[in-house]
Amino acid sequence: MSGKDWGIAIVLLIVGLLIGYLAVGPGKTVTTTVTQTSVKTVTVTQTAGAPPPKTTTTQTTPPKKYADTIVIGVTDKVSDLDPANAYDFYTWEVFNNIGEGPFKYKPGTTELIKGIIEDYEVKEGGKVYILKLRKDLKFADGTPCTAKDLKWSIDRVARIEGDPAWFVLDFVNKTEVIDDYTLKIVLNQPVAFYPAVLAVPTYFPIPPDKYPADEISSDNTAGSVGPYKITKWVRDQVLILEANPYYYGEKPKTPKVIVKFYKDATTLRLALESGEIDIAWRTLNPTDIKDLMKKPDIQVIEGKGSFIRYIVFNTKIKPFDNKKVRQALAAALDRKAIAERVFLGTVDPLYSLVPMGMWSHIDAFKEKYGEANIELAKKLLKEAGYSESNKLKVELWYTPSHYGDTEADVAALIKEAWEKTGMVEVTVKSAEWSTYLELTRKGQLPVTLYGWYPDYIDPDNYLFPFLHTGSNRWLGEPYSNPDLDKILEKAQVSLDQKEREQLYKQAQQILAEDAPIVPIFQGKLYVAAKKNVHGIVLDPIMLLRYYLIYKEAGS
Amino acid sequence: MSLRAYVITRILMTIPMILILLTLVFLVMRVLPGNPVIAIVGMKASPEYIKKLEHQLGLDKPLWQQYLDYLGNLLKGDLGRSMIWGKRPVIQEIMDHFPATLELTIGGFLVSVLLGLATGMVAGIRSGGKVDASMRIYSIVVYSLFIPLLGMMLQLVFGVWLHLLPVGGRIDPGMEPPPITGLYVLDSIISLKMDSLLNSLAHLALPSFTLGLVLSGIYTRLVRSSLIEVLGQDFIRACKARGLPGRAILFKHALKNALIPILTMMGLQFALLLAGAVLTETTFSWPGMGTFLVERITYRDFTTIQGSIVFYALFVALVSLVVDLVYAYVDPRIRY
Amino acid sequence: MRTFNFSRFLSSVRDAGLDGYMMVVGLIIVLVVLVMAVFAEFIAPYDPIKTVGMPVTPPSPEFPWGTDTIGRDVFSRVVYGSRTIMIVILMSTALSMAVGIPLGLISGYVGGPLDRVLSLVMDSIYAFPGLILAIAVAAMLGPGIYNTSISLAVVYIPTYFRMVRGQVLSLREQLFVEAARALGATDWRILRKYIFPNVFFIIAVVFSLNVADAILTEAGLSFLGLSVPAPTPDWGFDLKNGQRYFLSGKWWPVVFPGTMIILLALGFGLLGEGLNRMLGQKEVR
Repeated sequence: MSGKDWGIAIVLLIVGLLIGYLAVGPGKTVTTTVTQTSVKTVTVTQTAGAPPPKTTTTQTTPPKKYADTIVIGVTDKVSDLDPANAYDFYTWEVFNNIGEGPFKYKPGTTELIKGIIEDYEVKEGGKVYILKLRKDLKFADGTPCTAKDLKWSIDRVARIEGDPAWFVLDFVNKTEVIDDYTLKIVLNQPVAFYPAVLAVPTYFPIPPDKYPADEISSDNTAGSVGPYKITKWVRDQVLILEANPYYYGEKPKTPKVIVKFYKDATTLRLALESGEIDIAWRTLNPTDIKDLMKKPDIQVIEGKGSFIRYIVFNTKIKPFDNKKVRQALAAALDRKAIAERVFLGTVDPLYSLVPMGMWSHIDAFKEKYGEANIELAKKLLKEAGYSESNKLKVELWYTPSHYGDTEADVAALIKEAWEKTGMVEVTVKSAEWSTYLELTRKGQLPVTLYGWYPDYIDPDNYLFPFLHTGSNRWLGEPYSNPDLDKILEKAQVSLDQKEREQLYKQAQQILAEDAPIVPIFQGKLYVAAKKNVHGIVLDPIMLLRYYLIYKEAGS
Repeated sequence: MSLRAYVITRILMTIPMILILLTLVFLVMRVLPGNPVIAIVGMKASPEYIKKLEHQLGLDKPLWQQYLDYLGNLLKGDLGRSMIWGKRPVIQEIMDHFPATLELTIGGFLVSVLLGLATGMVAGIRSGGKVDASMRIYSIVVYSLFIPLLGMMLQLVFGVWLHLLPVGGRIDPGMEPPPITGLYVLDSIISLKMDSLLNSLAHLALPSFTLGLVLSGIYTRLVRSSLIEVLGQDFIRACKARGLPGRAILFKHALKNALIPILTMMGLQFALLLAGAVLTETTFSWPGMGTFLVERITYRDFTTIQGSIVFYALFVALVSLVVDLVYAYVDPRIRY
Repeated sequence: MRTFNFSRFLSSVRDAGLDGYMMVVGLIIVLVVLVMAVFAEFIAPYDPIKTVGMPVTPPSPEFPWGTDTIGRDVFSRVVYGSRTIMIVILMSTALSMAVGIPLGLISGYVGGPLDRVLSLVMDSIYAFPGLILAIAVAAMLGPGIYNTSISLAVVYIPTYFRMVRGQVLSLREQLFVEAARALGATDWRILRKYIFPNVFFIIAVVFSLNVADAILTEAGLSFLGLSVPAPTPDWGFDLKNGQRYFLSGKWWPVVFPGTMIILLALGFGLLGEGLNRMLGQKEVR
């Protein structure tokens, strides 16, 4: 075999591999770049009494007070850019900026105001909703959005049966188009907080010509009817939003928003410090937050979050079927230690499943047990038959990364608090998210740590899914208390705020008494930004509104 | 053995290897708890909904049938679709992340070769002395450097204290060159975008150095022993006798021959590079296959995991084949 | 067959010069860590699982290496962490050897199709990037000391297999084996009396080098969160846990465990290297 033959063989092989590589190739990544429609020729219709701060036509260049672009960094991921399956925090934030539903929250409050509707009527004691859509409603490409489109979108959600489909399926009986701009929704039964449900992205209208009728379209950039539209989307890397010229309302203060996705919090923090991004949003490490607070050129804005963490006792597994055991462990819990040591004060101890700041909240667990009440815990354990020689054996499970890197520390501190009684022996176990969920659903884990983001802002969302018989199946939790069920059901249909408040207070007290679930802490929201950024509003729905943010130009 | 037979045999040998790995991973994954549906679906999903999704993904079929289905598709060259989120074709997901790992691997390789050459040459020339001894210790020390710790120290010094180099990521968003090969440095050169080139090099510097330093020790020893062997040979003495300066001898003659053993190690080194890349990627937030694979394992995205393992195995096999061929070309002695 | 002569060994250490010193240094490091692991209760001032101070306080007389992310003593955690890593490493190595060595012996000696098939399987695993395989197995099995040992064992079985098989192949053809067979010894006796003892020294060398590698792989697994569950003291885990504080200048939760990982890997590496060179000078008959 001559050298030349080998040489040729090698060259051929390498060339072959290269061609194979390029063919399969990197150039084919899904980078949807939507070319701009001619913004220049658009005349923006405005509703009376809503003066825009500036027009977005590029012909008039008003004095540059505000920067054109703002860059936001996050460590979150987007799941599906499709309201029929989007049920996670960050995707909802994106939708809240590119879309809008019949209702929306007034920024900075939990007050609901009209969204894409001009007016509405509630009939038959809360069972029928007549929605009158605005007539100037248009999608991101300029096509008008009518009641038919809204009905199509809502029906589609029900049809596809994705994750958030229950928002429709649990409540709605049928939808009916009355005329081009009027939609009638008939519920199964009256629901007090239905307008809050109508504010979630699941009810946003999407263009029927751009979304497949029966399939989830995860990387769809067609958008909805909101202040921004998507012009670039590369999964896990970057999302670019630009002002939607057809939006009926106030123009966003910043025409272009770039969202960069980071893999971890430390890189995110450094990116802010180096000026790579203007705003660092979720989720920064507590230690980074503390450090950034000390920096003169960075502002850290704190808001009360509605995100809660809690311990779940599987009431079917011994000895957690014994109420006294649960109460003892609830009493011994040292929330302050966790809030201080692990989170450096960036979270608040929580004493009820209903978060602080929500109406009807009471510090139910504190009232009943105090805080880190070892004496009471010991007493209850003794009554349950345990002692220093006969210790209560607890298997505490956690999941290492889904709730952040800090989870192992949280579990360690809970173990320490419980063992302070001298009568408890805790074995800490962990499983990564997928296994953790599966085992929980199967009802195999005795004690677990979980978290909850609200679907809608109402105490019902923090109590019903956890405590109502049958509704808490997803936790593998067989807890059932018929009295509590009645209270929750009544509160759900009542339209009297005062009555609901009373009922929820009662519910929390029963919760503290039975203690199948024990709240630990409530998260605070933190946004870190350069000092020249304004308009950041943090409120209980915890979704950042990009259209309110602006940055002083020349920076 | 003729060239053709050799190449064909090698390629044929790859198939059982991939099959074995695939079967191992397949079995281990399907048998243990958790599946992609449960991992992704919202917490409140009903059991019926979960069953529906599982059926859609074919997860309710008997295990041997899923295995055969997958194999059948594999033979057609179809790696299937991811089971989570966008359900994009696996090959596309892999190609989204693989070029990043490839770039890091090449960077690490270059650094390790350069460092290995330098230290090996120094050791080889002054063999028997203190310098030689310290070079030997160098290899062992360097390999023991735990990549995350080394990486973090470098980040601290060069990123935070000196503000010289970026701490993570591949490139600043917006600076990406047009995607031709997926390797930013190469693409920047091809499309003549200087700013992209500088930016991507800056990001590549620390991770490549970390990875390369740790693996350079392997080359040190090889270069050293090969150099000693070559330097003792007759034709070197002949050069010296003819009065050629030492440096010329070294670089022109000795070095070429010393490089040959490096080729032998390259194939093996490649597996080490890929393994080291996982930790490097995690430390520097480098968006490559390492972090990608770990993430998908957490979510039990079976098809993507299987596809990635097959891809890795195929890649390693092909690279070692090319390397062996080049080695045979360069050194006629070992051709058979 | 030679027996092991200690004084001869010592003098050969001195003769070996640098290699001998390397081996001794490595041995010392390993022994120190072993002592730490065995006598942890006497060496560590605090309970490694209990919080004893404020989180992330710098090294001080009270806490010589500072406190970690929730206030546990770093020094105590590192001392107990040596126990965790030694247990995992020894268990996984024992497992690898228990499977790899016999298979290697049999495969090399018997040859034929069995040998070919086994070699193929082992080569496939060997050629594949080790950490990635360990990750795949560890992620499936879940956290725990036993599970982690299994994950590591799987990666290193081929190493022992190949090494032993190679030795057997070369020894099989040698004269003294032929002689034994001529004298009527059974295969089993040959394996036991002649081949295995000669293979033994190679195993010692490979063992050290392998353990060095295994330490780094285990630390890698811990770093990715796939090793032992909290709050077990584990160097890799502590390193990862402290990472979020590192770039703020709080270096001690990261540097101390990390340095121990490097030291221990280095110890075994030096030991193996030194042993390798020294034993390489002796042909065992």
